[in-house]
Amino acid sequence: MIAALGLALAALGTLLFGVLALPHPPDLFYLPVASVARRGRSVPAMLTAFAAGLAEDALATPGRLWGLHSFSKVLVAYLLAAIGARALVEKPVLLGLLVWGAVVVDGLVVTLLLWILRGEPLHPALAALALRAAGTGLLAAVLQALLRYPWKERRAARRRRRLA
Amino acid sequence: MAAPLSPARPALVLATLLGSCVILLSIQVRRSGQGTLAEEWALDASSALVRGSTGVRSAAGSLVGSFATRESLREENAALRERVAALEARLHSLHGIALERDRLVRLLGAVPAPPPGTRPARIVVIETAGPFQTALLDRGRVDGVEPGGVVVGEEGLLGRVVSAGERGARVQLLSDRTAATGVLLPRTGRVAVARGDGASGAAIQYVPAIADVTVNEEVVTSGTDGVYPRGLLLGRIAAVRRPGASLFLELPVDLAADPAREPLVFVIPPVRPDAPAPGATPAGRSEP
Repeated sequence: MIAALGLALAALGTLLFGVLALPHPPDLFYLPVASVARRGRSVPAMLTAFAAGLAEDALATPGRLWGLHSFSKVLVAYLLAAIGARALVEKPVLLGLLVWGAVVVDGLVVTLLLWILRGEPLHPALAALALRAAGTGLLAAVLQALLRYPWKERRAARRRRRLA
Repeated sequence: MAAPLSPARPALVLATLLGSCVILLSIQVRRSGQGTLAEEWALDASSALVRGSTGVRSAAGSLVGSFATRESLREENAALRERVAALEARLHSLHGIALERDRLVRLLGAVPAPPPGTRPARIVVIETAGPFQTALLDRGRVDGVEPGGVVVGEEGLLGRVVSAGERGARVQLLSDRTAATGVLLPRTGRVAVARGDGASGAAIQYVPAIADVTVNEEVVTSGTDGVYPRGLLLGRIAAVRRPGASLFLELPVDLAADPAREPLVFVIPPVRPDAPAPGATPAGRSEP
């Protein structure tokens, strides 16, 4: 349920970035995928990644290839879930790094896949990919930090201070 | 509570999802001037299948063909072996015929103008056991062979016919102990008598010890015995011995013709005392 909500928000955010015409927008679809995969649950992570990839393909400009991003995201989600099953991924920095790496791997897999499908080499735009991965990782880290922040305790403490 | 996932399930899900993506992509991707990737892959797979089946079929065909070829080769080989055997037998026969022909040619060369009534014959049996030395011919009266006929081989005189049946004749060989032949030593013109030694040769008798006789000297028939015509080669002097007490020389003779080596002979009609002497003289031989 949370994953579906995350996917919907990611789709909306992607549309918004498209409207704003940002040069290297972050890959918002990796946020719900990473959120599920960091707990080590590979099957839900892959299913989420598959849906996210299809949504991303749907939102792509005409000339889209259904299944292109699904392929890469399913593969990366499996890897993320494998890492999540062996390590505790809670800290925002660690999650940000993982998402950064996931986006880089995703970009490389997509490039490789296009190369295979087109039958001719396609050199990846490494700088754009790095920026996109950095933005996504940063966003994932910020969101994780926000989610981990003890909002209730802080609010209760503030109320107690005010009453005192 | 959810059941724990088996280790194979995530991998299965991964393979399924990735396979779905690949199928989706292959249906969409179309290379320039060609069909979709899925069609290409299907074509590739089907062509590989067709190639495989064709290869299997051709291999099976060639296997069957090789067996058939092997069988036919085996049959051909057997037929060729039989043919080779038949040809070898025929070659053997032809070789025998050629030998016989050569013998005849030599024989005719030795007796260039055989007297009328001369008959060819084959020696079929040689009897040398005991003191008598005889041979059997495969020709008899029916063929014109009569008692008293002179038997001549390729190399020289062999003997005379002593009895003749319908289809065979017995020959007394020169080596028979009871056979006596009038002989002539052409070099000196001396006439003598040769008698068989009962083994494989003969010996000249009644030649005086003072006579001029040399070893290896030729001995021919003299025609004085009324049996053999004059001038047929008998043999050569093997040795000249002068016994101290005797008045005559001992002159053993190596007979020219060996009946064991003369399967084909001529039988010259008997010499008639009233008939003119036959002109059968060995080729190149000069009368003394």
